[in-house]
Amino acid sequence: MTRDEPFARFVVWTLTLLGFVAIYAPPLYLLGVSFNPSLQPGLPSPSEGTLHWYAALAGERALLAALWHSLVIATGTAVAATLLSLLAALAYVELHARRATWFLVVVLPMFVPGVIQGLALSTILTRTGIKASALTVMAGHLLWAMPFAFIVILTSFAAVRRSFLMAAADLGASRWQQFRDVTLPLITPGLVSAFIFSFLLSINEFTRAFYLAGRQNTLPVVLFGKMNAGASPTIYAMSGAIFLVSVLCVGAIAVRALLRRPQR
Amino acid sequence: MKASPSTIFGLVFLPLAAILALGLAPHAVVVVWSFWAWDPSTYWIKPDFSLAGYAAILEAGRWTVILSTLVKALLAALICLVIAYPTAYAVTFLASRRLAVVLLALMTIPFFTSYLIRSFSWRLVLGRTGVVNTFLQDVGLTSAPIDWLLFSDFAVMVGLVASYLPFATFPLVLAMGRVDRIVLSAARDLGAGFWTVLRTILLPLTLSGVFAGFLFVFVMVAGSSTEVQMLGGAGASIVSVMINDVMRVANYPLAFAISTIVLAVILGLVLIGNWTFGLARLFEDRAQ
Repeated sequence: MTRDEPFARFVVWTLTLLGFVAIYAPPLYLLGVSFNPSLQPGLPSPSEGTLHWYAALAGERALLAALWHSLVIATGTAVAATLLSLLAALAYVELHARRATWFLVVVLPMFVPGVIQGLALSTILTRTGIKASALTVMAGHLLWAMPFAFIVILTSFAAVRRSFLMAAADLGASRWQQFRDVTLPLITPGLVSAFIFSFLLSINEFTRAFYLAGRQNTLPVVLFGKMNAGASPTIYAMSGAIFLVSVLCVGAIAVRALLRRPQR
Repeated sequence: MKASPSTIFGLVFLPLAAILALGLAPHAVVVVWSFWAWDPSTYWIKPDFSLAGYAAILEAGRWTVILSTLVKALLAALICLVIAYPTAYAVTFLASRRLAVVLLALMTIPFFTSYLIRSFSWRLVLGRTGVVNTFLQDVGLTSAPIDWLLFSDFAVMVGLVASYLPFATFPLVLAMGRVDRIVLSAARDLGAGFWTVLRTILLPLTLSGVFAGFLFVFVMVAGSSTEVQMLGGAGASIVSVMINDVMRVANYPLAFAISTIVLAVILGLVLIGNWTFGLARLFEDRAQ
């Protein structure tokens, strides 16, 4: 398809570029601003770039407490989401006629608005006398992260050929042995990706945590308050750092997974 | 090779229990509670049938917020398709394999970064002293900063498109990946130009991807709140923000009624979409 008219190619590439610029330019600009020593937002000249505001983060006790709380919640969410999604993906493979329904059941929560899910869950928890805590945030985040983890693990199942399992069965492997010695090693990269993705979804989630967090707020909830109360350069630094770490994690996983995919 | 029912039950049980307990049960309760009456003596609702919550939606111009949410969702979904379709085309047909990998990775990343931080960063770009206004003044297009760039419907739309664009790109990339290239080459050999091939062959073959992309963006925008909270002007609203506001004064029946309507619309759309093109089929060639 190299024979497209130049004008058509120009239109296609321009719109493509526009999309990527809209997604990446603002957060990258924010990241650049976080290295500016001045209080006025703007890009620093290369010579005056400073890590001053990152060092200042060490003194922001409220932000650090929220970050620690978010890390705990994200770890718990990631463990639970990965394990449950692994079970769900194994069930998908075993279910034959009804797998489309099962797929829909697991993925549907992805489409429920965060505000409504947070409101519904927090109302029920309050009414049943369960206090808001890290656990209640994890409950909300688990439902949010599972569809993504499920799809990632399901994609990694493409590496598990039916013939591998049949060969193992012919050689006398039980179902458990087939899982442990054939399936599990093949889908391990998928499990690692699902864990990291769930972790990032949880640590970056705002609307559900807003309803479900107890006395100690999560990092995005604290950031939201500070963003609206006159943003300071330390907010840029914290936001920029979180964005950069997220990009690097997902970027590494995505490139690795895509390069491994067999060519068609 | 077929798994026994007990094996399947064992696999399904835990994830299903989590989905039912954390997902279905709370939302079903909200739907039921939306029909209960407010009880001023307990500051809570009581099990008397009442449509007061739904009636309150018609008051104070709340239905206009619902209407404007649908308009925002429609507009954002269309803009996203206009950008995502060429992107998917470039990834599938124009880019080298290495570039395609990079572009796909760049499209995956936004799902897992913070929508809050990404929306917030537009404030630095669109504000009175932001990049756009500074640039416009430097090149002499305007003499004073343009005010409607930030805290406006324009800013919200920009933020929404930037946030949910990948939801349109992915189904389109999957749909285009399944198009037989020989069909396209045949059309070229018979003298069809780019736009003819696009209109008569590629678009019809990728229609399911177009529908899926539209639906995903529409549904995500209909449930969004962060973009309006970060970029909207004074009094700007969207359904999710309205629910927040209603909850601030503890008006449970109204909040439940709005939630019920939104849930019905969103789940209805997803189910219709699933029925027409099959969500699971989008992933079929990857997950055997």
